[in-house]
Amino acid sequence: MANDREVLREIWDGKIPVCFTLNSEEICDLQGPDPFYLMVPRLSYFPLCTEKVRKHFIRHIQSDSKQEHEMWLEFNGIPLKWHYPIGVLLDIYFNDIQLPWNIVVHFDKFPENVLMHCQNKEIVEAHFLSCIKEADVLKHRGQIVSSMQKKDHTQLWNGIMNDKFDQFWSVNGRLMETSTEEGFKYIPFRCYTSEDKYIQRLVKPMNEEGQRKTLKHLLNEVFPDQENVTVRTHGIIPPFETPLQWMSEHLSYPDNFLHLIVVTS
Amino acid sequence: MTSNEAAVSLGVAREDINWRKDLISQLRERNRSQTNCFADLISLHNRLFENANTLRNSNMQLTIANETLRREAANGGIGMGGNPDLEARLLKQAEELAMLHKRKGEHTQQIVDLNNKLQEITKELHRKETSLAENSEANTNLRLEITKCLAREKDLESINQMLKDEHQALQLAFASLEEKLRKTQEENRQLIERLIKYKARDAEKMNEENDNFLSFTSPTTFLMHTLSKFGKRQAKMQKELEDAARDTRPVSPDRLSLKEVAGLPTAVPTKASVTFSAHEGEVFAVKWSPTDRILATGGTDRKVKLWSINKDTSENKGILVGSNAGVMSVDFDSTGTLILGASNDYASRVWTVSDLRLKQMYCCWLVIIPRFYEYS
Repeated sequence: MANDREVLREIWDGKIPVCFTLNSEEICDLQGPDPFYLMVPRLSYFPLCTEKVRKHFIRHIQSDSKQEHEMWLEFNGIPLKWHYPIGVLLDIYFNDIQLPWNIVVHFDKFPENVLMHCQNKEIVEAHFLSCIKEADVLKHRGQIVSSMQKKDHTQLWNGIMNDKFDQFWSVNGRLMETSTEEGFKYIPFRCYTSEDKYIQRLVKPMNEEGQRKTLKHLLNEVFPDQENVTVRTHGIIPPFETPLQWMSEHLSYPDNFLHLIVVTS
Repeated sequence: MTSNEAAVSLGVAREDINWRKDLISQLRERNRSQTNCFADLISLHNRLFENANTLRNSNMQLTIANETLRREAANGGIGMGGNPDLEARLLKQAEELAMLHKRKGEHTQQIVDLNNKLQEITKELHRKETSLAENSEANTNLRLEITKCLAREKDLESINQMLKDEHQALQLAFASLEEKLRKTQEENRQLIERLIKYKARDAEKMNEENDNFLSFTSPTTFLMHTLSKFGKRQAKMQKELEDAARDTRPVSPDRLSLKEVAGLPTAVPTKASVTFSAHEGEVFAVKWSPTDRILATGGTDRKVKLWSINKDTSENKGILVGSNAGVMSVDFDSTGTLILGASNDYASRVWTVSDLRLKQMYCCWLVIIPRFYEYS
């Protein structure tokens, strides 16, 4: 049971400063637009907080027809995947990032083969809910999500969208409940080895002897050959002794997955 | 979960409490370094950004307002200033402008009218052109026809010339022929004269001979007299006939004796079995058909008639016409299909019995007793 509200709150409050600048090739004014600074929540997605950014830059791009174009973000020449939570993206590119995070805004030349299209927030919502369902299938064989009503799903989504901790957790708490001592069936997690590759395995929170597994066990199971593998999530490096069940309950992103970025030292 | 269980789990995890502390401190450190120190700055920036935006907008609005005000003021200034000279000129210009507009309208109308007229004219031109083309075509056709006609005329002329030449040649031929004819006629006349002369001489001779015969006294002399003009041969024949006639008296007792010798019954026809009037006038000739019971008679009425004779009756079978004088003699051929008649018009004629048609006519000076001779 996710009852450690202190940890949850700290994670929820994690925000990062981002500096958006328009791609210099697309500026049509003599005097380019000012960069746009924003505090974005780590747990949110980019399409949910870039509405103002779009409004700010759309006046400065070249022709009218391009106003219909989709906005996409780029960092260090790499298109940013909107379907990863912002915190995951930050952790992936952690070594290259200096805060505030400098992100370039594009409207033209959408990288079709790298990014999925995202015309509106409904697409993000669909992706988010599908992640939650996947995670629940791993945790409770999908029983809890399927027993939920439509309004619960909407409440989850609205909690994320509007940055409402209580609204979100009143529903998410049910997803984090365990009926037995053994905890979840499997731990939903993704181990990112690079920006677009992650490993997903079936890992139980308990071993055969009924003892709680820790992060160390997980890493040994996922990377049996490699020693000294550390992971970063939420901008911190969780200790190896952290129990998996507790991690899943407290350190999961709102999509109920643990997004662990592998740090090879 | 219940608080009991939480307490138990906390108890169990007491030795592991370090990881949680570590975690929380990391999180706090993170939030402090990444969030808190930027949050104020960013919010301040955002506020400033919005302020700047609103100020920019209001500034722009003010500029616009200022501009409009200034313009109004300028307009008002001019209006107030009231330069009457300028205003009068302006009025005049406006009037002139109106005039020009009006004139422009008129011109446009005119242009439209002219354009219409032009279009009509072009149409007419087109029509004329087409008619011209048609006419020229007709013209060429006619010219062709004319050349054809001329050729035909030339042909005709040549033909005409040819005909004329022919005609001339024919006329020449005709003239020569006429000349020949005249000569021939002349010759003919001479011949006829000569003939008449010969005839006259003959006649004289005949008369002489006749005179010689006149000394004979006999019933046949009269006949001889009538026939005296038919030459010497005739006269000889006449003599023979005379001899024959002279012999009749002594012959008849011979015949009786002959009858007695033969022992045949003799009968002189005493009673006519059929009597009928055959011709209007004398009947000169009578002949039985060699094959049928058909009798042919000839008379002065210039006709030859065919009669079918039965026991008591006679029936006219046909009248053969064509003779120009009385028929003196008739005869059948051996098959009884043809009939020959000699008449006083110096001609003998042959008819067919079956269809009563005149078949042939022979002219000679005199035919007394014509006879058919068999040709093989």
